[in-house]
Amino acid sequence: MELGRLEYLQALVTEFQVTDSAEAKEQVLANLANFAYDPKNYGYLRQLQVPDLFLDMLSEDNETLVEFAMGGLCNLCLDKSNKDYILEASGVEPIINCLSSSNEETVMSAVTTLMYLTTPQSCQQTTPLPVVECMLRFSLSASRRLSNLATVFLEDYCTPLQVEEAKNLSKHTAVGIPLPKD
Amino acid sequence: MAAGGSGGGGALGEACRHHRQLAACGSRAKYREGRRPRAVKVYTINLESRYLLIQGVPALGVMKELVEQFALYGAIEEYHALDEYPSEPFTEVYLIKFQNLQCARVAKKKMDERSFFGSLLHVCYAPEFETVQETREKLQDRRKYIAKATNQRDCLLWKKIEGPRKTSSDCHYSTSGSYAASHWDPSCFPHSHRVSQNAEYPSGSHSQSPLAFPQCDNHSAETSGNFGQRTPPGGCAPPVALIQQRTVPADNGADRFMPRTTHLQERKRKREEGNKSALAGANVDSTDIMIGPQLPEIPKVDMDDDSLNTSATLIRNKLKEVAESVSCTSVEKPGSSAAKPLVKQRRRI
Repeated sequence: MELGRLEYLQALVTEFQVTDSAEAKEQVLANLANFAYDPKNYGYLRQLQVPDLFLDMLSEDNETLVEFAMGGLCNLCLDKSNKDYILEASGVEPIINCLSSSNEETVMSAVTTLMYLTTPQSCQQTTPLPVVECMLRFSLSASRRLSNLATVFLEDYCTPLQVEEAKNLSKHTAVGIPLPKD
Repeated sequence: MAAGGSGGGGALGEACRHHRQLAACGSRAKYREGRRPRAVKVYTINLESRYLLIQGVPALGVMKELVEQFALYGAIEEYHALDEYPSEPFTEVYLIKFQNLQCARVAKKKMDERSFFGSLLHVCYAPEFETVQETREKLQDRRKYIAKATNQRDCLLWKKIEGPRKTSSDCHYSTSGSYAASHWDPSCFPHSHRVSQNAEYPSGSHSQSPLAFPQCDNHSAETSGNFGQRTPPGGCAPPVALIQQRTVPADNGADRFMPRTTHLQERKRKREEGNKSALAGANVDSTDIMIGPQLPEIPKVDMDDDSLNTSATLIRNKLKEVAESVSCTSVEKPGSSAAKPLVKQRRRI
């Protein structure tokens, strides 16, 4: 049972791919997402294509899998290589889709991930108008965590012009990305 | 937490969904089982916070004791009793704000599920008490930490190659190589209109003046990047001092293993030595009249972590300093009424 770090992570990935049990899948994905918190694991996780695995899971129907995968992405996306990888693998779109999840944790992770993925080069991708508009509504949320996060997003990652534009937009259209439920 | 609709008191007055303690998972495969039973949960920076919510504190007026316990893990900036917060009968809920996240992490890890005056504490992060500015700083700190950690790879790599255990991990270290991890240039984005909001705490919680404990060692945040994860062997990067401590016995091969009993004996011997010197010191220094036996020293707790131990000693010393200055002034004030101790002394005989 003495496994090195890489072997251990490999075992997790293998179990994730092989198992038929939904429960085991959730547990293993949670494990991988928690390992993604620690920068020491980034190299191994990339080697095992775990960022891809997380991105894949975003389109699952199982809300829990989406929550864990989004958490995993939020945990590893600050690293330059991981960031570049996600941006190049067109991961931004499924992450933006997570903003409309009914699970608050998924939404929180998605907002933070978008912030962390934003660079002068990628800001076109990560802060399009619908996202800014969505953040405007999140900033009014009764959930303090979400409103704080959205406020930081608007103040630090968007230009005043963008915010102004989004405000005008939301005046005209009533529909948008819905807020997460409890 | 209804995010839409009800715009009332928000998340503060009511219990948050993420504070509900999830049932521990009993169906993990053997190789994935940890040392402690845990629920299936993913932690992100959003869930962590310098604010800790402590539930299940028996309503016995033990706030002081509670805060003292938590102060062992780092400097506390504020603490409150949350009177409005829903709680089990005969228990209270407290909010403690640490000076930095790493201290809160360790405190949570050590104090959660700990028995305290006969009741089990439930400790969880309470990010909903953060202000916008505190949330911003938390996210920035994580950014800085990752930038630092991923840059340090190079020197870690060197140490690893020198070490006995050369693994196949070299290749990807070099791919992740030496980049300036954050190319994010904040100057491209407006920061000028930042509003630092200092929200008030919910009414009904009586606030205390902040404790003036010495600063928790900042480096603890960087050195112990362990974050409650199990760390499989080989990948851990201890600080230099620890590396030296560990490698020296490792060279001796067989000497590395020390039986538990020997270990305990050694610790006992050290403690006795420490006590002896403390007693001797007190006897030599004190010119005051001794009344009754000397109070026992506060037991020194070993917290299995160098930086924790240093901050604990810092706190202890500070407490001692404060206590001494208080006793000095209280003795000086009565001044001429030196008859009192004399009376007491006679009673002792």
